[in-house]
Amino acid sequence: MQQNRNALKVAMVAVLTAVVVVFTLVVRIPTAKGYLNLCDVAICFIAFTFGPWSAFIAAGLGTALADLISGYAQWAPISFVVHGVEGLLIALIVRQKGNEAVSIFRKLLAGLVCIATVSLGYFVLSALFISTASVAAAEIPGNIAQSGVGFVLGLGVSSAVKKAYPPVRSLSW
Amino acid sequence: MTINTFVAGKGLLYRFDPRAKLLTVVLLCIWFFLPVRLVGLYTVVGLLILLGALNTGFSHILKTFLSILPMLLFMVLFMPFNVRNGESLISIGSFTLITAEGLEQAVRLAGRFIGITYACTLLFATTVMQEVMLALRAFHLPYKAGLVVTLAFTYIPFIAESFSQIAESHSLREAESEQGKRIFQRLKDLVPTLTSALVFALRSIPNLAMSLELRGFGGEEKRSSFKDLSSYRHPFTHTLLSCIMLVGFWVLFRVK
Amino acid sequence: MQNALSITNLSFTYHSYGEKACERIFDELNLQIKEGSKTLLLAPFDKGKTTLAKIICAVCPKYFPGTLSGNIEVFGSDLATVEPWQLLSVCSYVSQNPQEQFVANSVEEEVAFPLESLGLCRAEMQERVDTALKHWGLDRLRTSSSQELSGGERKRVLLAVTEAIDARFWILDEAFDDLDQKWRDQLKEMIKQGNKTVLVLASRYLAEFDTLFDQVLLLDEKKIVAPAQEQLLCRFSQLCQDDLPNPLAAQVCTPPSVRQLVCTDLIAERRRTSTLEEACFKVEVPHFSLQSGELITLVGPNGSGKSSFSRILCGLDGYLHGAIKVDGTPLSGKELSKKVGYLFQNPDLQIFLPTVNDELSWSLRRRRDLKTEEIRKKVAHCADLFGLSLSDTPATMSYPLRKALQAAVYYLLDRPFYILDELDSALTYHTALTIIRDLRQHGAGILLITHDKQFAKRVEQRTYSIEKGRLCEL
Repeated sequence: MQQNRNALKVAMVAVLTAVVVVFTLVVRIPTAKGYLNLCDVAICFIAFTFGPWSAFIAAGLGTALADLISGYAQWAPISFVVHGVEGLLIALIVRQKGNEAVSIFRKLLAGLVCIATVSLGYFVLSALFISTASVAAAEIPGNIAQSGVGFVLGLGVSSAVKKAYPPVRSLSW
Repeated sequence: MTINTFVAGKGLLYRFDPRAKLLTVVLLCIWFFLPVRLVGLYTVVGLLILLGALNTGFSHILKTFLSILPMLLFMVLFMPFNVRNGESLISIGSFTLITAEGLEQAVRLAGRFIGITYACTLLFATTVMQEVMLALRAFHLPYKAGLVVTLAFTYIPFIAESFSQIAESHSLREAESEQGKRIFQRLKDLVPTLTSALVFALRSIPNLAMSLELRGFGGEEKRSSFKDLSSYRHPFTHTLLSCIMLVGFWVLFRVK
Repeated sequence: MQNALSITNLSFTYHSYGEKACERIFDELNLQIKEGSKTLLLAPFDKGKTTLAKIICAVCPKYFPGTLSGNIEVFGSDLATVEPWQLLSVCSYVSQNPQEQFVANSVEEEVAFPLESLGLCRAEMQERVDTALKHWGLDRLRTSSSQELSGGERKRVLLAVTEAIDARFWILDEAFDDLDQKWRDQLKEMIKQGNKTVLVLASRYLAEFDTLFDQVLLLDEKKIVAPAQEQLLCRFSQLCQDDLPNPLAAQVCTPPSVRQLVCTDLIAERRRTSTLEEACFKVEVPHFSLQSGELITLVGPNGSGKSSFSRILCGLDGYLHGAIKVDGTPLSGKELSKKVGYLFQNPDLQIFLPTVNDELSWSLRRRRDLKTEEIRKKVAHCADLFGLSLSDTPATMSYPLRKALQAAVYYLLDRPFYILDELDSALTYHTALTIIRDLRQHGAGILLITHDKQFAKRVEQRTYSIEKGRLCEL
């Protein structure tokens, strides 16, 4: 009967993208790279709670838009690729049918993938397109810290939100 | 929270066709990666800044530069130390500190960084978001993607404002005052605010989907378009102009 | 002639996410509306009128899961086979909460969006948009985004959208509410003159309704009834529990200690950001005082500075000149927040835990001086007082219960003073007054903000009024 979910997908991705943008721009600690922020919290949350496609688009588009808005235009395509892939991979790793808890092993794997994607991704792409390998290498520790903390917080927030707002389980793409 | 990148003004750039502007910025970004002489690179950057000053004013340029200054300083200060081969410029004893090549590379990368960042900033400062989306649609961006971006921009201020209200509301609820806590505890305290903010945002998803469908979105019928770019009468001329200039600069300044 | 709307034997229950099943909202409900007629459906808050409207538009249970049984036909087509967008030119819905219906970045685009869905040509769209905007006085707000508009302006935008779409059947949920008198009259004219079928849903009987409708119905105990004129209003006020004695009348308030909140010569500035003006808005308070056990009201039109003043009074915002003193000591910022509790109009700003029990015990657990057993007792007593069930999930509770939860959380914080921002919107008078009574149990002083003069009358104590930022006692 009513199976067309176009509007729901558009609404979901739009709101989640807005969430990523807000989380990226709300807390900023200026460093050499640009700023340390909570975008990884939002991305991990979306990856745990929604599906791979939502995570990919919301994470990539959200961080790219945030970069464009705040004037770091050159990072926009890099952020799109790095964070988009981050969201996609984490969502694929923890994807689960039904409501059983995800095993610790999968969570650890997802965490490692998250940290690796962000730090390596930014390192390689920054080195190629923005500056040199040595400068890009200086950002690695910051990125590891940010994505690690983001992952743990994202995990916590995701389980809190699922308990506080049960209808979220029916939204997934 | 302001996400408005548009700066009102009356210059030449505002009358330039958005499709041509979009294409120009993309080509310009590619141009900056081509092997051109340093002089040429900085000439183009200088011209860009001049163009920007004539259209958006100096305060906007200043703001843009202040925001990219940290990264710029880091690049300029850190890089020259790392290129080892080549003739040395400054040395302490037999230890080479900075090489000419290193310096040149640093200056080049800085110039490229400023150029690309400023070109994109100028694009968004002289073109209303709506027209940027229309220009993208002209390049065959699917309607749904454009709708997602437009909706995201509508919801960003809404979510940001509710975030600050939620943070205030939680701080009003605190029983004790939180002073000088360790960072781990501070992050843990952030979880309630983040959870509330996310639940708040998530609740608007079904409402938004419902409103979209009530307003007719979702079926397979073709939609018409309220706004278009017909007020810009010379898309081809503008595009041609940009291309000629870019090719001209390439020929003029390329490394032989 | 076919009926515009024909509902037979409708029953609906929301899907429950907890262990308890939800109560049935409608029980074998029947409703017939003839084409071209104007109908008024009265129902107290939270009894399902918005649910009914959403069912008629085919978005419920699609987006609001639940079990539906019965037969609904809109202009002859069975809703079970129809998607919401197919009803675009048939049926228009104006929501009670305008914010949730906005899909575009500016007012102009909002009106144009459904017209684009209809596939109209640009010239016709331009004409319809211009007429609608002019008709509702929104011309100079064409390019403003929804964030910058006031509540009344947002309602007008939705009405302009409805006018531009020009559907055959209009469902207006509390449409008269946020509007100023001028616009209410215009809406009344529009309903009267047009040949559209109109269904107005309301939870308070307004004077404007008198000669407007062919049919006045009541949503009574999950069914729709059409009582005779004289009994109608009587039964309606019974349903709203208006006939119950005022909960505050019987309350005798003896606070353990009398505390004073005094505000003298206060001047503050708020920057108003909008696309139109960047003017500075000044808040001036020559004198204001609130004592423990007192209940005072603050009335004022939209935009007069009520929220600005309350934010200053509870320490969220600063001020330039003057003093706010509690028991003689001037306070500001965090210290002031600990003495004055501010209940935001939107109760969802604080909800983040899975159960009512967790929400209520959260603040208490953070105090080191209470034992677990004491906490449990306090929480149970509080939930009892406010009519909450400890195992409910806050995010899926009904609006009045969430408001009660918000009040309960603050009750446990035991502040000497409370500011209640627009408590009466979307609640029956009785529920609102009960919440106020419960908050006063420990003798707190309460400042009630409202723009509803009827409600202020029931509270009958000192009143302050605020206009254009200037506060004075009435």
